[in-house]
Amino acid sequence: MARRYDSRTTIFSPEGRLYQVEYAMEAISHAGAAVGILATDGVVLAAEKKVISKLLESSKGAEKMYKIDHHIAAAVAGITSDANILINYARLSAQRHTLSFRELIPVEELLTHVANLKQGYTQFGGLRPFGVSFLFAGYDKHHKFQLYESDPSGNFGGWKATAIGANNQSAISILKQDYKDDITLQEALLLAMKVMSKTMDSTTLNAEKLEFATLRLVEGEVEHKIFKEKELVELIKAYQATVPGAQPDESAGLDSQNTDSSARFHPCDTRRRYSSIA
Amino acid sequence: RVAMSIMQYNGSAVLAMKGKNCVGIASDLCFGVQGRMITTNFRKTFRMQEKLYLGLTGLATDVQTLHERLEFRLNMYKLREGREIKPSTFASVISNVLYAHRFGPYFVEPVVAGLDDTNTPFICGMDLIGAPVTPPDFVCAGSNTEALFGTCETMYRPDMEPEELFEVLSQCLLASIDRDALAGWGAVVTIITPEGSFTRTLKGRQD
Repeated sequence: MARRYDSRTTIFSPEGRLYQVEYAMEAISHAGAAVGILATDGVVLAAEKKVISKLLESSKGAEKMYKIDHHIAAAVAGITSDANILINYARLSAQRHTLSFRELIPVEELLTHVANLKQGYTQFGGLRPFGVSFLFAGYDKHHKFQLYESDPSGNFGGWKATAIGANNQSAISILKQDYKDDITLQEALLLAMKVMSKTMDSTTLNAEKLEFATLRLVEGEVEHKIFKEKELVELIKAYQATVPGAQPDESAGLDSQNTDSSARFHPCDTRRRYSSIA
Repeated sequence: RVAMSIMQYNGSAVLAMKGKNCVGIASDLCFGVQGRMITTNFRKTFRMQEKLYLGLTGLATDVQTLHERLEFRLNMYKLREGREIKPSTFASVISNVLYAHRFGPYFVEPVVAGLDDTNTPFICGMDLIGAPVTPPDFVCAGSNTEALFGTCETMYRPDMEPEELFEVLSQCLLASIDRDALAGWGAVVTIITPEGSFTRTLKGRQD
């Protein structure tokens, strides 16, 4: 019955929903998870790589982690080709601001640019929305370290900790339990590793399947580091040392009070798995 | 009021030289308007990357603006490519930007100096619409290039070590800007070597 309101982005359904936006979010829920945690002395971004093959030429750097400017990094969940367009747009916005104002763009301002672009695709032009959600981590003189989430509707919010992509509900519930306001970067790294281990498809943590990045201040300058495989192996070891044997599965604390309407739409043709989603 | 060319409105001098596995780049420090000095800390050489420096002579506003625009392009390059730019590639970017404004140009004459990814020295000069030259020895730009060419041709020799190069570069520049009414008030010299770079400020004739 609601099918006739599916096709055009620029119309509401009788229930007041934008189906194309919701379908975009459904596409993202099939993508590899990304987790962000804000610490007192930095921000952690962690992600699960979906596309792993021995044949893959991995010379192009990271699959899900991107640098936007000296002081802003992003993690991606969704359709990779859409993400590339938005990442490029974010980079250009940041540089344009620097050209005009001779300063680094405030993080929230960059989010506004990206979010406004995404919003345009839900209201004008009849084009489909971007099938990407981002976690942006940044530092500026106004609000120090910050973590933001941006979704296909064009909405964005600041978070202390959040997750996007597959199993993000269980990831968020773990974060709700274990996050504390005075968490340090090192503790946040271990918490992110814990969240990844509980929400990833595979039973064991594997450095090949993970991407970790941190944003922190080193001698007054913002340092964006994407972990190398060796460093990930070390981090996994450090995490496993904190786990005293087999633990009861904590994902039993799933947040069942999901008031997000994106859970209520009909699945139908949105179930097709895009291999271009990562 | 003196009638002078737009390239002589602010006055400047930039010099780059090749040494043995090193390059040097230097500029004067004067920012003036038609013979009236305004400040004496206006560098015309800019660090673009650890081993890549850009020198810009000509109209001061264009020197500043072009530097800012090139920094934009360079930042985008590094983010997209995930690596640093080679000096020769950067020179091509500058040439492209300048020619794009062929019929309304930036009044600058750039100089590029750096070491590429194999630490081979590279220097390059350009006119205001982007025609590049890559000589084997030195590049001069500014309001009194005649003097610069004269001192360089006399005092330059190939394969100088970093400290030697610094000495020759400094003397060539200082002697030339002393003969230029519009450039001077001190100089800043940078030598780039595979191990790192050093920058020294010179105090010359303060007029």
